[in-house]
Amino acid sequence: MELIQVLIYGLLLGGVYALLSSGLSLIFGVLDIVNVSQGAYLVASAFVTWRIWESTGIEPLVLLPLISIVWFFLGLAIYRGLFARVAPQGPSMTVLLSFGIALVFEGLLNIIFGNKFKSIVNDYSLKSFDLNTIILPYTQVIASVVAVFALVLMYLYLKYSWAGRALRATAQNRDGAALVGISHNKSSAFAYAIGMATAGAGGVLLAITYPFYPATHYEWIAKLLGIIVLGGMGSLPGAIIGSILLGISEAAGNTYAPQWTILFFYSVIMLTLLFKPEGILGAKTRKDSA
Amino acid sequence: MKNFFADRTRLYVAIPLLVLALIPVALPDSEYEQSVLIVCFLFAIMASGWNIISGFAGYVSLGHSVFLGMGMYTGSLLGQYFNLPTYYFVLVSMLVSVLTAVIIGAVILRTKSHSFVIITIAVLLSAQLIASNWRGFTGGTEGVIFRSPSWVKELGNMPYYYMFYVVFLLTIALVWFITTSRLGAGFVAIRDDEAKAGSIGINTTQYKVIAYGLSAAPYGLAGAIYAQYLGFINPIGAFNILLSVYLVLSALIGGKGTLWGPILGGFLIALANEVATITSGGISARILIMGIVLVGTVMFLPQGILNSVKTISAKRKSAKKSVAFIDQASIAEPNTAISIEKIVRPADANANKSDVILKVTDVYKSFGGVKAVNGVSMEIKRGSITGLIGPNGSGKTTLFNCITGTYEIERGSVVLNGEEISKMQPWVRAHKGLGRTFQITKLFKSMNVLDNLVAPLEQPSVKKMLVNKIQGDEADRAREVLSFMGLSSFEQSKVGALSFGQQKLIEFAQILMLRPDIVMLDEPASGINPTLIERLSKAIKRLNDAGTTFLIVEHNIPLVLSLCDYVHVLSAGELMVSGTPDKIRNDEAVIEAYLGPDTLLTEKS
Repeated sequence: MELIQVLIYGLLLGGVYALLSSGLSLIFGVLDIVNVSQGAYLVASAFVTWRIWESTGIEPLVLLPLISIVWFFLGLAIYRGLFARVAPQGPSMTVLLSFGIALVFEGLLNIIFGNKFKSIVNDYSLKSFDLNTIILPYTQVIASVVAVFALVLMYLYLKYSWAGRALRATAQNRDGAALVGISHNKSSAFAYAIGMATAGAGGVLLAITYPFYPATHYEWIAKLLGIIVLGGMGSLPGAIIGSILLGISEAAGNTYAPQWTILFFYSVIMLTLLFKPEGILGAKTRKDSA
Repeated sequence: MKNFFADRTRLYVAIPLLVLALIPVALPDSEYEQSVLIVCFLFAIMASGWNIISGFAGYVSLGHSVFLGMGMYTGSLLGQYFNLPTYYFVLVSMLVSVLTAVIIGAVILRTKSHSFVIITIAVLLSAQLIASNWRGFTGGTEGVIFRSPSWVKELGNMPYYYMFYVVFLLTIALVWFITTSRLGAGFVAIRDDEAKAGSIGINTTQYKVIAYGLSAAPYGLAGAIYAQYLGFINPIGAFNILLSVYLVLSALIGGKGTLWGPILGGFLIALANEVATITSGGISARILIMGIVLVGTVMFLPQGILNSVKTISAKRKSAKKSVAFIDQASIAEPNTAISIEKIVRPADANANKSDVILKVTDVYKSFGGVKAVNGVSMEIKRGSITGLIGPNGSGKTTLFNCITGTYEIERGSVVLNGEEISKMQPWVRAHKGLGRTFQITKLFKSMNVLDNLVAPLEQPSVKKMLVNKIQGDEADRAREVLSFMGLSSFEQSKVGALSFGQQKLIEFAQILMLRPDIVMLDEPASGINPTLIERLSKAIKRLNDAGTTFLIVEHNIPLVLSLCDYVHVLSAGELMVSGTPDKIRNDEAVIEAYLGPDTLLTEKS
């Protein structure tokens, strides 16, 4: 029974991770940017959610679409203002830029909200589904369902909209896409904005499920980056598999050895990379010499 | 003029170093100044270490302070066990840091990928977690407090000052050695173009792991001293991500990829940090400011102070010398005085080898649904000049990439000198005698021509990595090869300043450094002028007479038909026909596939 509890709980955690890491994976896949600031965007969204909830009492989940949209436009601005200018210098500079942005966010959150743990306690926060021996917290179930829903929405949008196709085209062949009239700058900004929107949505879910303070963005980004390394950089299905693996290993860790959980996950990553250096679904793309 | 300048540079460096050495003696009351300078040393040491892997080899690490923590904890644990100050264990600490880096590197540096930067963050956080939770061993989150050594009352910080100063000098010496050795040239080659570095015999994995290991060494040394200097150790302090930010910022602002940039940056950032501590002290404000400075540096000063100064002064100089510059941009006649035996491998080395040097059997490679190479088999005769022609997209370059190991083949075999090589890494194939150029030249842009020629590693050996890149046998050989190709006047030119045709010849020369048995040229004549084509064919013929085999992809059909003994024609990923130039010239299927039905291939030859 304990095993089933671990598996189901792990899947629930994995659902939320899937949403969070898919944004990161998208940004990497299309832009070749290791977006270290993703964790900071996530925690920032959690703080904004918390502040609105605290001062108005509005149900956080209602805020989710709104915050996602605001984060989308914030993402557009950050890409256009900063990344677009640094992008030509290659991934080793964009990762440093992104690191700088993360620090700016962390510093601002510290100054605005203080360096303390915050959490949202609702009427449903402490309840759980009790199915005989399997106990599932409401918040966890809600967060996973919402996350999977958002993820499916994003997937359908990327698959069937013109913008989504343009984006995938850019990811596969930037120059080719440019030749058929897809502006690389526009689709890059769009990809970054979508990625940022997932962090906005994820932040709301984070706010109702975990306590957080500004510096927790390091832990989050380390987990999310770990997921995409494990799954294979830039692969969306890979990110989902990585998320589920992290979810289950966390659930198992929480049950058996809580303080070593994340270390266990990192060991899984190192072991995977030992045998498969490009990650589970890592793509070997055609990088032509000519 | 050049010597004078070099001497002056030395002076710029020697005077500050001397002043730094004398400060504690000259100013005995400078307790506070010394403590500030100790942090300056620490930052400069760390920024310089980081520079080895991230500046020279181009692999950004964001968690590099983990190696300082490693050194601190190693010193601390051993110090407690033996009841001695932590700095007694500098060497062990260094070893632990280096070994950790080598082990991690051996797992994550095998492919060219961005996962490295991610793992470096994960490693730092993991180390923090282990130190916090392994209570019996590390004292947990509260950490450990050390007893001060007895001399502190009399001497204050002075001994620490000199300990850090020595590590500082050792770090400078290490980085200086790297910049002058072929090892360093290899790091920069990897940063500029990793695939190319592999194709000229550089074992990129090994180099990257060495770079990572060396970059951790100064951290281990400094860590063992730093722990005792602080007087305590705890996981958050030892494995501090903010420290990683400081050191990245130091290297970046001073100028990564240079010897002195990270040192300059380390002093600047440490001093700025001290000012921030005095004036505000708030950690939140500090994080915000560091973030803004990092974003600002990346946006507006990406090359760092030192590189920007260099660029400006170089521009001034070249403005003065512009006439001379045009003058040297000429290619001389190939130097026939250079004995061919010096360039190629001795002919008798091939004496009892088989007739077929390279045999490709049923090679298959697809990209998605495109069968780029669809079951191609061919033999290349030893000592021949073989042409490989075919319309655009027929799979010529892909076949090259399959032979040299840029791509893994899905099926089939590639046999070189009787040995199956299709599972080998590109650099191993290069050592086995395979040399290739690229359709679009892939020279190392940030190096000059001589460095580009010295970068290839003929035989994998540690000794060869450590030799000086501009003196000794390798450099002499590079000069000979340049002279042989008539390129001597370009020795000191930056590759980026040369024309495409010149670059093609330089890349050809670069391949010759490896003394290849077979040279594969990918469109050597495209985009270069007729005089150069003439020189190129002369060089090919001369090398061929001395026993070097050639496989040439080329669209200049008259050139192929006049130069080659044998020609293979690819079409749509399959071998269409093979034969002597005469046969190909008159083959109607070839003419039709290649040029359309109304064209004759006989105009010139």
